[in-house]
Amino acid sequence: MRELAGKLLRLDRRAIFVLIALATLIPLLYPVGLPIRVSPEVKRVFDHIESLPAGSVFLLSLDFDPASKPELYPMAVALLNHAFRRDLRVVTMTLWVTGTGMAEKVVSGVASEYGKRRGLDYAFLGYSPGGANVIINMGQDLNAAFPADHYGERTADLPVLRGVRSLRQVNYVVSLAAGTPGVESWYVYGKEKYGFELGGGVTAVIAPGLYPFLDTGQINGLIGGLRGAAEYEILIGMKGKGMAGMDAQSATHFIIIGLILLCNLFYVLAPGTVVRSFDPSAPLRTGSAQDRTGSPQEGQR
Amino acid sequence: MTLFLRRTLPLLLTFLFGVAFAAQYYIPHPVSEGALTEISVWLRIILGFAMILGIASLCQVHYAKIRTRVAGWGYSLVVYLSMLITVAVGFWAGGQETGTGLGWVYTYTLLALQGTMFSLLGFFVASAAFRAFRARSKEATVLLVAAILMMFGRVPLGEYLVPAAGPLAGWLLNVLSLAARRGILIGISLGGIATSIKIIFGIERSYLGGRE
Amino acid sequence: MPGDSGGSVGLSWRAAPFNGPALRYQVFFGEQERGPYTQLAEFPANSHYKSDADRPWWSWDRTKNVHFYQVKSTRTLNLVNGRPYFFKVALTDGTQSLEGPVRSAVPEPNLFNWNKANNLLLMIVFSTLVLISISQAKRRPNIFLRRIPGLDAVEEAIGRATEMGRPILYLTGSDDMSSLSTIAATVILGQVAKRTAALDTQLKVPHRDPIVMAVCQEIVKESYLEAGRPDAYREDSNFFITSDQFSYTAAVDGIMLRERPAANFFMGFYYAEALLLAETGAGTGAIQIAGTDADLQLPFFITTCDYTLIGEELYAASAYLSREPVLVGTLRGQDQGKAFLLISMVIGTILATIGAFTGTQAFVPVLQLFRDFK
Repeated sequence: MRELAGKLLRLDRRAIFVLIALATLIPLLYPVGLPIRVSPEVKRVFDHIESLPAGSVFLLSLDFDPASKPELYPMAVALLNHAFRRDLRVVTMTLWVTGTGMAEKVVSGVASEYGKRRGLDYAFLGYSPGGANVIINMGQDLNAAFPADHYGERTADLPVLRGVRSLRQVNYVVSLAAGTPGVESWYVYGKEKYGFELGGGVTAVIAPGLYPFLDTGQINGLIGGLRGAAEYEILIGMKGKGMAGMDAQSATHFIIIGLILLCNLFYVLAPGTVVRSFDPSAPLRTGSAQDRTGSPQEGQR
Repeated sequence: MTLFLRRTLPLLLTFLFGVAFAAQYYIPHPVSEGALTEISVWLRIILGFAMILGIASLCQVHYAKIRTRVAGWGYSLVVYLSMLITVAVGFWAGGQETGTGLGWVYTYTLLALQGTMFSLLGFFVASAAFRAFRARSKEATVLLVAAILMMFGRVPLGEYLVPAAGPLAGWLLNVLSLAARRGILIGISLGGIATSIKIIFGIERSYLGGRE
Repeated sequence: MPGDSGGSVGLSWRAAPFNGPALRYQVFFGEQERGPYTQLAEFPANSHYKSDADRPWWSWDRTKNVHFYQVKSTRTLNLVNGRPYFFKVALTDGTQSLEGPVRSAVPEPNLFNWNKANNLLLMIVFSTLVLISISQAKRRPNIFLRRIPGLDAVEEAIGRATEMGRPILYLTGSDDMSSLSTIAATVILGQVAKRTAALDTQLKVPHRDPIVMAVCQEIVKESYLEAGRPDAYREDSNFFITSDQFSYTAAVDGIMLRERPAANFFMGFYYAEALLLAETGAGTGAIQIAGTDADLQLPFFITTCDYTLIGEELYAASAYLSREPVLVGTLRGQDQGKAFLLISMVIGTILATIGAFTGTQAFVPVLQLFRDFK
């Protein structure tokens, strides 16, 4: 038994990869549809958009590239659906060059479902290099920052941007971000100077880093990861990719939890294992060891 | 003269602009705001040229590899060909993606490749967790328990099985993690201010390239 | 209005002795003294006090029983700087109205936003602290720094690579030279290079940034010179791959899988590629040491690396190893800044708690010193 435990501890990674692949594929093919609880931080974004009167200016900055599409694209779809339903004036853009194609596709796709007309009901400004400097420029003079939209039409002539000279005239900005420039840049260079309300949508891995901003009111809501996208879809009564992915996420999380519990069981059963109690006088090591020959941690087993 | 242009002038400019735009934050006058707008436009122009420099640097490195036929020089040829084809297709499509060749290249190469690379993380997290989340010590056990609680509480299945898991995971995020994150943010921010001060006052010069 | 860029006017007037909720104030605006006047606002007479404004005590008179109303430029009302405008306030009970005298005001931009004076003061104090610490470190280079335990792991990793006859892979992160963690990474590279020079171990340093590469080339060359092994130095030990995140990651993963370095060092700032790099390295059986202030990537490094320098341990390690006065002084200045903030937070929490329980406003001036005002 102990030898088996020792062998299983050295399980080939590829077996784990296959398990994860199955855990992802099977729920996607055979969804269960478990209930999802809506968190307060996501509800705050929803409530704020709900409170905006028709004709308010809503700026959605799609600051992500194809790598983060699975988490942030469903958020973009859900937010655009909500904004178009509320008849807001939707202005979209991106600060990431490789995200331009995706951003254009999602905006024009959702807009066409609602019969919204480009230039009249929504605008896609496209990409402009400069990151945070673009935000500063937009804060001073939007038409100077984007003289033309993504399709080459003058922004000063677009009916949807009538009366919007800078970010000060924007009612709500949401940045869907996978890194920098992202939500923090929009706060530091945008909201801090120009005073608009700001919400954020980010990948699950960077969401914990934005909770301090949420707690102090620097951002008024936060949609985190695929789970956040699913919650938003529930709020607007839409079945999208966010909800579709939650069963797969549940399955993969449980597979990982199971693997962790099993590996700890094998670890205890495997030959030569001594569970070490904490010795305050020993130098602190924060690493987790590779349990193989030559590892500096081997002596502590 | 060379020393003046390579060292003294950049340091002088760094100092002047650093002090000016640190002060700009405290000066609400429209002249100050106008200066900020102007400088941000210039920065965007410079960043545009930096992209060109990046491409030039890439071309130079890979050309050197092709010329000297180092191991793997074929991949450098692929870099060149891919770049040229994408640029040519981009010009032909007029920079538009919808229904064009550029859109095809974007959707079926860039999107696919970047998505694939990023999705590897999901698999790697699982194998890393299996190999590393072992209760070797009390601290490792705390890490392990926190990770399990978070994973359990952040998915619908976990909340369905144990309704309290969701609020518990939320508490871990909103209280413990938040407190730690704030502490880290303070440290990083102070580090950032210190580095900026050193760069403005010319104490830190390694960003100019080369050593003193 | 104090501290703004113009385009607004603040009106203040002493409260009437007979104020009450049944009475209402009306604010009127006119472009000419003779009129016509437009009503801008109406509110209960027991509201809109100067003491209600969320402004700091050093730039705002919080006299009680003085009303205050700010007239701002809007889409329909455009206040131009330098031009006089005329205002009057009326008190009404719905049937009768008592009008005050007409007053004129000229919106002007301010040269300094006094609301941010505390921010400026804290910045000057901290900057001075850092500069003084650096100058002290230059005069007295042996300032005490506790030894970072991770440095033993660095020695061990280099030793292992030498024994196995395989190269060492060293990454300096994804940020440019203006980032503190990249600077720290290059300093540690210098120390690692000295050891690899002495032990004749191959060093490979792939880069994402050309300037970082140029700096590291010089650092490694100098280290080999200092170790007395200029002959062992290889020009191609530092090489540029690409600046694209995942292309770089794929290339480094390829190097790890093909050349199987015995030790991998991940120093600097990392983004999502952290786990991809570290897990691939772990799969090859290399000993791995990470050092990063990218707190979001720390969990991934901790689970995949043998040792991780967390946050400021990276800066401290580079200062400890190099003993460069600038690094040591900066670290000391930062530590002093953090100590000050820690003490302020403890005292502030105690004062705010006492204030919450007793209802006293006495501690508000102290607490406001650390608040951010616009």
